[in-house]
Amino acid sequence: MAGTPPLRRQRRRRGSWPLVAAIALFCVSAILPLLFMAATAFRTQADWADAKIGLPTTASLGAFERAWTGANIGLYFRNSLIVTSATVALSVVSATLAGYAFSKLRWRLSGAVYLFVLVWIAIPPLLLMVPIYVQMVQLGLLDTYGSVILLYSALNLPFNVYLMTAFFRSVPDELIEAARMDGAGIHRTFQLVLLPLAKPAIATLVIFNVLWSWNEFLFALLMLQSDSVKTLTVGVLQLQGRFTSDYPALMAGLLITSLPVIAAYLVFQRHLVRGIVAGAVK
Amino acid sequence: MGAFVAYPFASVLYHAFTRWDGIAPSEWVGVSNFRLLWDDPIFRTALKNNAIFALSVPIQLVLPLIVAFAIHRRVAGWRLFRATVFLPAVYATVVIGILTATVLQLDGPLNEALGGVGLDGLQREWLGSASTSIPLILLIVVWTNFGYNVLLYLAGMSALDPSLEEAARIDGAGWMRILVSIVTPNLRRVLEIVLVVNTITAFAFMFTYVYTITNGGPGTDTYVSEFYIYQQAFTNQNMGYAAAIGVTLVLIVLAIGLFQIRILTRKEAR
Repeated sequence: MAGTPPLRRQRRRRGSWPLVAAIALFCVSAILPLLFMAATAFRTQADWADAKIGLPTTASLGAFERAWTGANIGLYFRNSLIVTSATVALSVVSATLAGYAFSKLRWRLSGAVYLFVLVWIAIPPLLLMVPIYVQMVQLGLLDTYGSVILLYSALNLPFNVYLMTAFFRSVPDELIEAARMDGAGIHRTFQLVLLPLAKPAIATLVIFNVLWSWNEFLFALLMLQSDSVKTLTVGVLQLQGRFTSDYPALMAGLLITSLPVIAAYLVFQRHLVRGIVAGAVK
Repeated sequence: MGAFVAYPFASVLYHAFTRWDGIAPSEWVGVSNFRLLWDDPIFRTALKNNAIFALSVPIQLVLPLIVAFAIHRRVAGWRLFRATVFLPAVYATVVIGILTATVLQLDGPLNEALGGVGLDGLQREWLGSASTSIPLILLIVVWTNFGYNVLLYLAGMSALDPSLEEAARIDGAGWMRILVSIVTPNLRRVLEIVLVVNTITAFAFMFTYVYTITNGGPGTDTYVSEFYIYQQAFTNQNMGYAAAIGVTLVLIVLAIGLFQIRILTRKEAR
């Protein structure tokens, strides 16, 4: 997207205003949920009973209070942080190492193992929910952070490995040869030559995995049953059941669930686009 | 990964041929699960709904392509559009689902707004019948994944040789003409990815939407296949039957998935 010649920008933009209006409308609809959650979360229950659409009359933080402590959203927030950070660390580190091994090291069965990893990109994990659940019961991992951390890492791994392998393949072999000539072994080469180069690719993996793990719902629903381990996506659903009429608190909960990923998206947006480019055209 | 992905796959295959509550040892029953499934009206409803959600595929092939081309051509506001168009995919599906259910309830914001502008005639119980809730869920799914497809197309367009478009423009071709005759034929790979990803979404990533928006109701009218697996396995404790549904779906999705792997490996071979 950055490679387009600058003279295009000076060209007259004409004839496409209905299209531009339609795109603008879509983008407004993309922001609308955020506005609705924020506006409603600052309103009182009486406001909501009065009218479903409206601006807050008092800047009341009561809904956040009821959600955060009354409905355990604070606890679920902590659980989501733990699960997401552990998953991202585990899956990014192992994918980086695996990508290096598949692209730059020569070992027996490398091709076969790589293909085996790729196959799983195509199989939707939702269809395997029964045996995964039973296996977690057998391993005694049900209702622990460990269950979802291991599972999320395993599910993210195929795509991560694919992306890292593609990235490392694009690094010229001469660089590695040069390091080897200077007496660096495979570990030092990785550490001193490849890892610094891989920073943007790793940032791409981080944003994808953060969005995915923070937002995952089905397996969290199956695996995490006590409040002490539940993540936000499951916890917030309880809020809907418990406070059926307390919509401001529900919206506060949804807003708390959304803000971290929106912030992460805004910060890492560039890397996310780059990851999609790598996945689509490399 | 082998432990958490490959083993369950083998296990689901085996248990599809058993009767099993998930606790007691399973009992081999041959193909009877599949025979039951063949005549199961709920499974038919679920598959039919999955097929309706697959209507999102032609929409996602065409509309995001046009939007991506507008952004690619840098229409007014393109930077803002590029940043915002992906936003629906950033919200958790659960958040979108709960919001949808809230907005569409009988005394909810949508009906209130319709009443407010004098369109009382359009007010209805949006989630009270599959004939309104299924199209609405379809709309939400299209909305959520739209930006992802736009970015895929943009990625493909940025890799094209700009001189092709330039030459067409000098020859006097309009933008629609350039999109149809020059750009789209060169985006075959991306079009294939969009096709496959959105088809798989319609068949295998609908659970959260249905669970949070209609919970399958009224009755079983808005069931989708994975929702049925979930319900059979964890509400009815029919793990064997749920496994059989899983296997059938895997076969359907695998046919699509093999196609996807072919694309990925072809790229590797280059």
